[in-house]
Order: sequence, then structure tokens, then C-alpha cells
Amino acid sequence: MPSNTIVERVAADLTKYPPFDQLDAAVLQDLAQSVSLSYHEEGEVIFAKGDSLKQHAFMVMKGAVRLFDTIDGKEVLVDLCDEGDVFGVRAVFAQHDYVLAAQVAEESLLFELPVDKIKHLLETDARVSLFFAGAFARSVEEIEHTLSEAFDVGQKRYSEQSYNNFLQNETLEVKPVTSVITCPPDISIQEAAKIMSDSHIGSIIVVSSENHPLGIITDTDLTRKVVAQPGSVKDQAVGTIMSTPVYTISDGKTIADMVLLMVKTKLRHFCITEDGSSGSPITGIISEHDIIMSEGNNPAVIMKAIMQATDQDQLKEQRDNAESLLQVYIGQEVATHFISNIITEINDAIITRAIDFSLQELEAEGTFKRPDIPFCWLSLGSEGRKEQLLRTDQDNAILYAEPPANQAEAVHDFYLALGRKVTGILQHCGFVVCPAEIMASNPEWCQPMSAWKGYFSKWIVTPEPKAVMHSTIFFDFRPIYGESKLAAELKQEIFSLIAQNRGFLGFFAKNALQNPPPLGFFRNFLVEKSRNHANEFDIKARAMMPLSDAARVLSYELKVPEYFSTVERFKRLGSLISGMKDLCSEAAAGYEFLMRLRAVNGLVNNSSGRYIKPETLNKIERQTLRNVFSTIDKVQKTLNLRFQLDYFRD
Amino acid sequence: MINFLAKKKAARRCRRGELPDTVCGYINAFSGHSDLQFPVGDVRYVVFDTETTGFDTSRDLVISIGAVAINALHIDVQDSFEVLIRRDNVGEKDAVTTHGLLCKDLDEGGEEQESLDAFINYVSTGVLVAQHADFDVAMINRMLHRYYGFELFNHVIDTASLAKRLEKGPYFNLAHKSGEYRLDMLLDRYNIRMHDRHTAAGDAFLTARLFQMLLAKAEHAGIRTLKELLLT
Repeated sequence: MPSNTIVERVAADLTKYPPFDQLDAAVLQDLAQSVSLSYHEEGEVIFAKGDSLKQHAFMVMKGAVRLFDTIDGKEVLVDLCDEGDVFGVRAVFAQHDYVLAAQVAEESLLFELPVDKIKHLLETDARVSLFFAGAFARSVEEIEHTLSEAFDVGQKRYSEQSYNNFLQNETLEVKPVTSVITCPPDISIQEAAKIMSDSHIGSIIVVSSENHPLGIITDTDLTRKVVAQPGSVKDQAVGTIMSTPVYTISDGKTIADMVLLMVKTKLRHFCITEDGSSGSPITGIISEHDIIMSEGNNPAVIMKAIMQATDQDQLKEQRDNAESLLQVYIGQEVATHFISNIITEINDAIITRAIDFSLQELEAEGTFKRPDIPFCWLSLGSEGRKEQLLRTDQDNAILYAEPPANQAEAVHDFYLALGRKVTGILQHCGFVVCPAEIMASNPEWCQPMSAWKGYFSKWIVTPEPKAVMHSTIFFDFRPIYGESKLAAELKQEIFSLIAQNRGFLGFFAKNALQNPPPLGFFRNFLVEKSRNHANEFDIKARAMMPLSDAARVLSYELKVPEYFSTVERFKRLGSLISGMKDLCSEAAAGYEFLMRLRAVNGLVNNSSGRYIKPETLNKIERQTLRNVFSTIDKVQKTLNLRFQLDYFRD
Repeated sequence: MINFLAKKKAARRCRRGELPDTVCGYINAFSGHSDLQFPVGDVRYVVFDTETTGFDTSRDLVISIGAVAINALHIDVQDSFEVLIRRDNVGEKDAVTTHGLLCKDLDEGGEEQESLDAFINYVSTGVLVAQHADFDVAMINRMLHRYYGFELFNHVIDTASLAKRLEKGPYFNLAHKSGEYRLDMLLDRYNIRMHDRHTAAGDAFLTARLFQMLLAKAEHAGIRTLKELLLT
């Protein structure tokens, strides 16, 4: 029998890092028992390229190990593993030799994990297998779809749950549940479980004889503390397993308060007592479920409120509600595409209402007469791509049908006045003005069809790198209000312009390659750890734009007529371009991950989320980000090949 | 030479049935065992620590033993050992609390003789390694002597002496600045994060980490065989 103290020590070290932080205690103990520890000095080679596989994988507990390939006699660094990183997992999956070499970069203590133990874990635990599959794909080029698979699994789990929540719950009441089911602390666990199942509730409050809350028992407590225990503990008093103390609050808390409280305490149930303390009688209970389903946080209710709004203050209020909804969704790990769909719906509704209000005002003021020339309101950039989770800059434009020459000025004046009113309302709702003034309030971007065709013709027929870069957001236009036929006509015009000027796609593609992925990102980060140097990473420019740019180029090349998001574009492209299905779904999943990361970062820092401090990322996020970088690299290589951009050097 | 004669004598007592089988397994493992010319990396080391009621080797008692082996230079968690020894007459003595062992734990421990047998069979012919090894070896030997009339046959390495030798050369007087070679100081110097200090197994594990690093240092010093490592 190995020493318990030592096994526990090793288990405690393992559990600091994924995927071992997810393991059950017994499985973890068993794994810890089989670990052996090796110490290596700087420069030592753990294995060389071409060495036959060892019987274990490695985890860095201290120090750093570099993984490198040797190509034409030159060492190419592939990865640098630091504390908590697992490497050499090829031994688990493959039969042949190591394809990379591992060398100690900094004096290291390594945990060696036997291959057969890991294989056993892979079979029994889906999370572990996903993790190792990811780590394996990272070190070996030939397996490339891990990321997308991982995302699919993750999303299936979350989205089913969230969709259901919505459909089932149309209750508009946000009041706490006042008919609280309680029990005294001395009844048996079995009795408490029976009360819970009889009354179809997921939790029961344990109260003193004066009805003061003492603790709570939830489904989770029952499974974790009772079912999972050997022997019969069902006869014990509920007092022995209840979670205590209960978080007590006073009545009258707003949804915003509750969301904040939930995020801060990571609790799922809150007791309402007469005076808010645990020393007074219980009057109600609010659960996580109640908070998520509450009035202000139900997208259907927000939409309804927007449609019924009578002034811009109400629009602003609803957009603020949408933000707290976003916060809850992010916390709940609801699938990103689902969140972005809802937020886009809400944003579109706000714009629609802003236009309604503005048209009414213009009519009431009577300064300008509304022409019978139809128009179409266009959203541009990320809003055009339906990707705006947090409120960012406004990017919009007005496209109107060709007016007769004698009316041209009057029509322009009217729509410009409209553009100014609408952008003003949107600004009031928290969408700040675009610094480059790409807005419908700018005369340049409030134009008839002929002018718009002229703009695109100039960009496409005589492309010039800088102009192409600034024009990309226009290529993502999407009709929000008015005559969408106008937008469709413009899009067709762009397709035919591109068909006649193939050279443009080269420029367009080249623009998509200006930001190569920072493959050495974590390496540099690691090197600088001692220097107390807080580098911020621009997730938009360095990770999101390379992907959205690539998707745009290919969508225009293949004449995709829909007004798609980047994710939708990649999904469509996967079915249009033979041999790119896997890479496209990988890119789509990667882009969703980036959107989410940006939104989380933005919510935490109360910013646009664009700049991320690498040290705030957790291990999984770092690993996923690393995978996304390698996806970007592959996407860019594909573009380069497809448009033969090496001939395009300027 | 004395060691050799003692082994012979003990083996003879086994053949005559004067010693129990549990102990003879340990003794017989040494017959024909010669590992001095082994490369350092081929040796099984058993890094151990004892917790005692005090520091008087003639009076105090062992209350727990923890150990972990180093096989092929790897700390082998599977090959580890831990016993608590039941002591009926141990009161609330200071040492008991500093070791973090409660009287309750000791009541649940094994019998002394049984624990000792388990330990020597676990160690077998492994090279014993401990911090300030003289003390721990003396504590084990006193028990062995009392029950069976022989002492440990194993080679012993003291991590404090080895560290001193590797850092300062073989002829440095350890008596000077001996404080620098206390386990806490060594762990600190070799950047080994401390945890579980003052349980026998926890200390053994930390000492094993230290010893592993000392072996790497020893290689640079040109030490290739066990004989060279033992400096005999």
C-alpha cells in the first residue's frame, strides 16, 4: 500500500490543473498513485524527434519544457510548456515515434503519467478525452478537427438547456417564491428527500422552531453527500448534510442586484427574511432559475418592451436590460451563437424603433417633407455581421432609391436629417459614435443607389491597399429597415463588379493576411513573466479580424448572397469549397470562442473587451486560444494559396 | 567487514530457525547482494523519515515511519510506505503535537514489531536515504536490536552530508554552519516548495525531491557508481 500522505500530496498537485481538476476523488487517487516524478536540468532532452514512444505522458509541475521540430536542420519551436501543461501525449494516441523533440528550458520537475492509466481515463471521462484530444492535436499536424468537435459537444450541452428554459417559461412575474417549503433540522434525510420529490422542488430550507433559516438542502447535496456516500446515511438528520449558512437578503431586490449577487457569491439560492438577516423568519426564496427567468431578463419581454416603447429613454432602459441578460447568459455558458442571435434581434429592434421615432418626429416638425423615394437602413461592420454582443461604435448608412434629378437635393436633405436623428437616439441608448464617422448622419454615407454603386466600383476596379482596408466594413452591410430589395440590388452589383475585376480579390485577400496570428504569443508571455510586464493583447485585431476578413473574402468570391455572420459564412463556405469543411467548422468554432472571450472580458472590465491581459486567462482558455491561433494560421495559408498571394508582394 | 560478519551471523540464525520468517526475508535478500559497482541510476533508494517522541535515541520512541522509493532516478509514488505505531503510554508530550499526530491517530496505529517488520521488508536491499540519517537509522536499529538482535544492513546516505559535500567539497567540516544544512534551509535553497512538514511521509517525500536534485548535481561532480556516491 503506497503512503496515503504522499498520494494525497501528488493528487493535490494534479488537481490544480485541467483536466485533472475535474476528476472524482477516487479516480484522482488512483491516478496519483501511479505517478512518478522526475527531475531535469536545463538543456536535458526528454525525448528526441524519432525516438520511440515512452510508456507515459508528461506534466510540467515546475519549470518549462520546449517542444520543437527540426526542419532542414533548423529547430522550429512549436510550443513551450510551463506549469500544468501536459506534453508527450502522442504516446497515448499514436503507435509510432515522437514527431517533436522535448527539451528542458528551465530546470523542471515532471510528473510522468502512465499511458494505460490515461487510456482508461479517456474511456471513462468525456472531459478528459476532449482535453487530451486537444493537446494531441496541438502537437501533431495531422489531426485537426479537435477544436470543432470540442465545441460541438460543449454547445449541445448548453444550448438544449437554454432553449428549453425559454420556451417553457413565459412567466412575467419576478416575485420571490413565498410559499417556501421548509423542514426542521432533526428530520431524516430520507424524509426531506420525500418532501422535495412530493412537492416537485429542487431544494428545501431547513428552519429553526422560530422559522429562522438555518441551512438549505438541494438536489446536489442529495447526490453528492448522500447517494455518493457508502453505507446508509439516509437515516441521519438533515442538519448533518445541509449547506449552511443560507445567504439571506431583504425583500425588494432588483434583478440587477440579484444578478450581481449571484455572480459574486456563486450561490444559486437566496433566502428572503423579514429583516434580511438570518435571525428573522423566512418569507421567501429566490433561486437562480427565478433570476434568469425574471421579467427584465427574458428576451421575449425585452423585445415586447422595445416594440411598445414610446420614447428613447425606454429604449435605453431595454438595451441596459439586454446587457444584464448577456451577463447572465455568459455566466450560464449559454451557446454563443444563441446569445448573439438574441442580442442582434434586440439591437435590430432598437434601431427599428429609433427610425420609427425619428420619422414621426420629422413629420411632426414639418421642416422636411418625406419623399416617396424608398430607402434602406444598413448596419455595417460587426453589427452588420450580427456579432455585436457588447455595445460598440455605431457603423451605419442609408441607401435610398435613385431620385429624379430635380428632387435629388430634397431627398438627400430628408434622409440626412433622418440619419442624424436616428444616430442621436442610438447614441442615447449607449452606442457611441464611430470615430471615423461612418454613420448615416454623415452626408458621404447617406446616398442614393448610384453613389453607392460608384463607391464600390471605385474600391473594386481600382483597388489600393489602404482604401481596401478602410472599406471592409462596408462589405458587411445588412439591411435593417426599409426596402431590403435595395440592399440586394447593391450586393448583386458588387458580385458582378468583382467578376469583372478578379484582381480585386487578391487585394481583398491580402488585406485579410495583414495580421498573422501571434503563434509565439504564450512563449513571449512566458519569457516575460519575470519582468512584471503587463502586455495587453488586442483580441479583435490579432485574432477576430483575421478570421472575419478571411470569411468575407471567400464569401464574396463565391457570391454568397445572404447577410451572414462570420460563423455562418464559415459554415456555408465549408459546404461550398471541397476539402475545406473541417477547417471551416474549426474556424467557425474558434470565432465563437473569441466572441465569447471578448464579451466576458468586456463585462468584467466594463469595456469593449478588445484588450485582454493574457495572465487573466485560465489554462483552458489559453489552450483554446492557442488552438485558435493555429487555426488562423491554417486559414491564412489556405487564402495565400488560393489567391496565390506570393505574387502580390508590394 | 563487521557488516559482512553480522549478515553471516544473522543468516545462520535464520537457518537455525531462531528468527521469524518475516525478518529472514529481509536478511536473506542480502546474501550475495553486491551493488557497490552499480551505476547511480540503477540503484533503488528508499528515502525515509521517522517521527519520534523526542531526540534521545536511547529513550525516545518511533511513532511513525514514512518512505518513498527512487527507482531509475524517478520518485515512484506507487513504491511508498507509511505506518503509524501504536503507543499506549504516549501522553500529551510536545513532540506528539509538533509532529501533527494526535493521540487518537496513534491509538489506531499498528503494533511496533509488526510495523518494523513491514518497514524492513519494504526497504529490502534498497539504499536508505534520510536527512540527518544517523538519527533515523539509530532509532530503527534500536528497535531491531531489541526484537531480533541485529541492525540494518543497508547502505545509508545522509542528504545533509551529501549536499554539503556537493556544495563545498568532500572535506568540508559539516560541524561549521550546520544550520545551513537543516532540511528547511536545503529545501529553500533548492526551491522545493514546502508542504506537509512534520509528518514522516511528507518529510520523506520532500527529502526525496531534494535527493533527486542532489543526484543530478552528483553526476556533474563525476560520481558514477554507488560506491562513489557512498564515498566508501
